[in-house]
Amino acid sequence: MSDTMDIKYAVSATFSSAKDLFSAAGKVKEHGYTNWECFTPMPVHGLDAQMGYPRSKVPRFTLAGGVTGFFTGMLIVWFMNEFDYPLIVGGKPYFSPIYPFPVFYELTILFAAFGTLFGMFFLNRLPRHNHPVFEHPDFGRTGDDKFMIVIEVDDPKFDDEQTQEFLTSLGGESVQVIREPID
Amino acid sequence: MSDQSDKNIAKSNLSTKLVAGAVLGLGGGLVGLFQGLQSGDKAPFLGWLWGCSFWLSIAIGMLMLIMIFRVFNSKWSPVVRRQQEHGLSAFPWLALCFLPLLLVAWFGKDQSGILWSWINPESPTIEVSSQISVGDDVLHQKKAGYLNLNFFTLRLIAYFAIFCGISHWLRKSSFTQDKDGDPSWTKLGSKVSAIGIPAAALSLTFGAFDLFMSLEYQWFSTMYGVWFFASGIRAALAVTILICLYLVSTGQLRGLFKQAHQYDLACLSLAFTVFWAYISFSQYFLIYSANIPEETFWYTIREIDPNTGALSGWFWVSMGLIFGHFFFPFLYLLFYRNKVDAPKLIFIVCWILAFHLLDLYWNIIPGREIIPGALVGFEARPVVGSHLLWGIFSLIGVGCLCAWAVVRSFQSGVAEIIPIRDPRIRESINHHE
Repeated sequence: MSDTMDIKYAVSATFSSAKDLFSAAGKVKEHGYTNWECFTPMPVHGLDAQMGYPRSKVPRFTLAGGVTGFFTGMLIVWFMNEFDYPLIVGGKPYFSPIYPFPVFYELTILFAAFGTLFGMFFLNRLPRHNHPVFEHPDFGRTGDDKFMIVIEVDDPKFDDEQTQEFLTSLGGESVQVIREPID
Repeated sequence: MSDQSDKNIAKSNLSTKLVAGAVLGLGGGLVGLFQGLQSGDKAPFLGWLWGCSFWLSIAIGMLMLIMIFRVFNSKWSPVVRRQQEHGLSAFPWLALCFLPLLLVAWFGKDQSGILWSWINPESPTIEVSSQISVGDDVLHQKKAGYLNLNFFTLRLIAYFAIFCGISHWLRKSSFTQDKDGDPSWTKLGSKVSAIGIPAAALSLTFGAFDLFMSLEYQWFSTMYGVWFFASGIRAALAVTILICLYLVSTGQLRGLFKQAHQYDLACLSLAFTVFWAYISFSQYFLIYSANIPEETFWYTIREIDPNTGALSGWFWVSMGLIFGHFFFPFLYLLFYRNKVDAPKLIFIVCWILAFHLLDLYWNIIPGREIIPGALVGFEARPVVGSHLLWGIFSLIGVGCLCAWAVVRSFQSGVAEIIPIRDPRIRESINHHE
């Protein structure tokens, strides 16, 4: 089949400078949109706050991983040395929080690192093979000289025409619809 | 105009109060030293050393932090670094505060070993629960090439010469740049720091060995210097945060010292909380694992009464350090809001300072008091005693003296509130999380 089916994914607008994007992002937030994203060629300081993003939730996964690691280490040592096969080594007790502390400590760090890495993947919904925003013909330029705001169809306040007009009113250049092909 | 004169009056009032505090505290402490010398009581000397060590550790921590900022050419730090450069002005006065201890060591005659017993070969000491003199102790004989009064004096002079010398050059390179704007001062600062870091690190390591570890000269730990470094950095970060937030509240640093600076300093506090615990635990862990009597006794007298085997007051201090100086600040500082909300951060840095004081107390005060009738020949010094009272005198006295020197440096107009012509100042002011 030569024509593929597609569905509407989002409306996009490009900007030529970080300054334009920054002020536009503030207005998008004020307008009450929630399901939208900015694409920039370089990090723009303060954009997170401007877009109304909360702090990342990754640290919670880190903490949970660390606590799990600490108690896993304790359990390993207790099970092996006190419960399953009691053995006196160097005149130390079967189980104590002191001599095996390096084990607790190392597992705390290891599991905290796992929590951070996999928590980040989970919250990012990574890895994924493709993203509809790549369908935009000029998306590559957001890695070079263009700044882009994308408002998704899923946004509760999304309205095809009004959203396009709104982005144009913010000074967006080449406001267009991104369509996602489906099989 | 009247506003200006009001400020001047406020300035001189503060200085007068600090001088009064210094005279009162140091005077009280000196009375203690004099009495101790008369009656052979070690307590006032231990208290004096404890009081000095707290302020010394803060000054050393600030010195190390400035040099680390300098060698890394860090872009966020200049706003903070200037406040610490004022802190360095305390070093010559700290040297002065250690002078009485050195004078007693030289001219104390039969009491010369009152604080550091190894200074006097006639001092009594303990070998396997029997009393001998230091001169007959093989553990001293083997260390006498290092632990002797001449070399000790030379070292103390060298340490303070290094601290004062580096401080002088760091302050000069930074303050002069305010006036002439010459970027070569920044290069000079980096060079001084590159040489200064190893020099100051060796000084503070051997300083900790000489001043604190040699109180019980039989005992040794190669981690002791790193422990003192970690403690000093923690205390210095706490004081830096307090100074910066105070200057924000008076308006001098408002808009210059930003949340991002505060957050980074708090993150460093968290990192060094972990580092302190790592070092302190490693020292304990190695001694516990090796289980050699000439090392373990140092921890034993911090846990039990050696004559009865029952837990002593020091056990609770030790537990207090584990939970109060590590676990609580560690868990507290993990949370973002606790690092960026000024009142919450002020609470925890004051907490850390209080426990740092307790940590030094725990390291300096406990020791073996030779009691001929006792089962093991000695008794462990109790937690609360006259050493605490004398210590508070010197703590206040030395503190007021150092604060006076620092306030004088702030108010002398020798430098702007931030290094306005530092090549990195623009990036520092615009520092962002």
